[in-house]
Amino acid sequence: MAPSISDLLVTDDLTILLGLIAGTVFLLRTFYRPQPLVHPILLGRQSEVTKVRNPGESAVYRNYGTGLMNRFPLRPHKDVQVLSDLVRSDMETSRTLWNTKITNATLQDRVASFGTGLLRMAQLQSQESNVLLLLNDCIEFLIADLALSSHSIPSMTLAAPHLLSPVLDTHPPSAIITHAEFLPTLLELIYDAGEEGRHHTIVVVGEPSSRVMASVASKVKILLWTDVEREGFKVPKIMSPLPKPSDVFSVSFFADANGHVQGTQITHINLTAGVAGIHALFPVSALLSSLDTVVSSHSLGGTYGRAVAYAAIFEGTSFATTESSKLFHLDEGTVKQDVTDVLSAQLYSIPSATILFLKPAHLDALVDGILRDAKKSFLLNAFAWRHKIAGVSEGFVSKDTLWDRLVYDAARANVIGEGAGTVRTIVVGEGLLPANLLTPARVALSCPIINTLTHPAVVGPVFALHALDLQDFSTLEEDPVNSLAPVGPPTVSIEAKLLGVNDSAVENGADPSGTLVVRGPPVTKQLSGEELETPSGYVNVPTGESTSSGNSDDEDGWTALGVKIRVLTNGAFRVVV
Amino acid sequence: MAFDVGTPINTAFLLFILYSVQKIVFPSSSPPKEIPNEFRSGYSWLPKSHQPTVLFKTYTPKTLEPFHGRDNGRILLAINGIVFDVTAGRSFYGPNGMYGNFAGRDASRGMAKQSFDVEMLIPVDQPLDKLIDLQPDEIDNMKGWVEHFSNKYIICGKLVENDAV
Repeated sequence: MAPSISDLLVTDDLTILLGLIAGTVFLLRTFYRPQPLVHPILLGRQSEVTKVRNPGESAVYRNYGTGLMNRFPLRPHKDVQVLSDLVRSDMETSRTLWNTKITNATLQDRVASFGTGLLRMAQLQSQESNVLLLLNDCIEFLIADLALSSHSIPSMTLAAPHLLSPVLDTHPPSAIITHAEFLPTLLELIYDAGEEGRHHTIVVVGEPSSRVMASVASKVKILLWTDVEREGFKVPKIMSPLPKPSDVFSVSFFADANGHVQGTQITHINLTAGVAGIHALFPVSALLSSLDTVVSSHSLGGTYGRAVAYAAIFEGTSFATTESSKLFHLDEGTVKQDVTDVLSAQLYSIPSATILFLKPAHLDALVDGILRDAKKSFLLNAFAWRHKIAGVSEGFVSKDTLWDRLVYDAARANVIGEGAGTVRTIVVGEGLLPANLLTPARVALSCPIINTLTHPAVVGPVFALHALDLQDFSTLEEDPVNSLAPVGPPTVSIEAKLLGVNDSAVENGADPSGTLVVRGPPVTKQLSGEELETPSGYVNVPTGESTSSGNSDDEDGWTALGVKIRVLTNGAFRVVV
Repeated sequence: MAFDVGTPINTAFLLFILYSVQKIVFPSSSPPKEIPNEFRSGYSWLPKSHQPTVLFKTYTPKTLEPFHGRDNGRILLAINGIVFDVTAGRSFYGPNGMYGNFAGRDASRGMAKQSFDVEMLIPVDQPLDKLIDLQPDEIDNMKGWVEHFSNKYIICGKLVENDAV
């Protein structure tokens, strides 16, 4: 016979038990869902767009935080006008720069001593001379840079070692600062150039061997760094007039995509705006502070590496660079960008690294190593991976979850060492990050990974993802293997525009896609074609359409970066390969 | 009954518990089939379309005239060779507005002389108004209006002679 209603609703003790369990499980599922680190509604509009665009161009895009009406931030703090202001006098704690534990006051003293000593012993003139810094990243680089800028003597730096001979030929410096190990090579180059009439002054960091000293020609004067500092320490310091923020304090030479040598002039404003850009990479809840330790794989000879280093100086963090950032080696081999390279920075006496500025190859090697190590515990890893991916697809990532404790902490410790637990943010720059690496990297390292777009003509990042943005569109890409990760909106002091855009496609709603031009305080002015002569004596005339040539300023001050890029509907940009 | 957990309610609870536990222990890790267009539908979402932008075009008096707004389309007007999109001010410049005469026309003379009469407008097939006979203060007045319009409305083009295109 058919069961009646009262038969169906029979309850007993088991019902109550099951009911309680069901209620608990329901509450668990509802309230224990991972909360996204940043609300997705904010990621729907990352750039501010102008209302009008010229034919063949896209609209002008700015960072949403800056907006269309506001002025660009020029400096990280209102008192920072010139380079030497980045060494803050009000900060009294000491921090470690490479191997030297130093306070800001001591650093300023050393800078003043070195500047005075150099002016006296090398007979340099403020605003007349220029000095070539042939140094690998070390504290002497920073001291020299700060000292020269305070006396308005432009420094010249190279972004790659093979640029040395073209630069020596076209822009002969008044003095050169280099390492003792590199001195023989440099002397050879000078002698080969055959300019016997010219005097050369070389300041050497370290102790050159007596054999090398014996081979020095009479026209070349060799000074030891320690002597110069000591000389400057003894005598009253020479005070030069304060440089203006718009003065050029450094010229960085780099090779563009065509292999031509380009030079770009960095002013104080460019650098302070670049430091403000780096400062803005970090979310308000996790700003750079003096408790951090920054490890950078970007050489100080380039604009981006310089911005990172000075941002670290300004915030009072400890700082060191990796082996691959060294430009001048004795042997011809290049350092591979892998995990060993990342760990090479830890060999200095800095505390455990918290913020890493890496290149995509480093990240690839790190992630590969960690995931491979995690796969050793097969079953647990299957669960851990699944849970982590589910978390990331909800916008949440953290180092403190159960799966980290079970699987990933051990994997990270095996690959990175004991310092694995302190890494809290990774910023990827100076390279193109593949799209399918971004989410595995977030799972493996369980910390924000910020992808940026950099260029040798811009101080600091040009585009940067929101720090807490975990969105991933790679699974729906047409070409998942070759597509690149998005680089986000322009940074706070940059406005960007695309040229060569297909108007009819954009009017129909397609994503604007074209070549990138930018404008803003961190964008440096490149040396024009007439100022750059190739060694053969011909003037380097930029070829018309080539957007990566040196003379690429438009009438309104837009600088072409030679990158093909596409805008997504949420205002983030993505490089087109 | 195929199986018996005592009562139907117990069965229902048990199934619910098993389902929820399965969802907790094995969360779905497959990405959605297509990119959601709403932030509520998914974390990795993209808006459906870009922010609307207007293409900067070159207009002649003849091509500007259709934008008079009488057909509920865009309303444009030109001052001093600059074309403004005043669709947002339909109540002023639309067909029934106070300044409706200016829609789709060159309003330079009217702005300078502070008049909305039809005599201020030149027929579309004639050359552009050269504004030679205006006083300096009227020219300043017109420039003030250009300033006002630049702040309030979108500059979306420039006005040239009929045969210049």
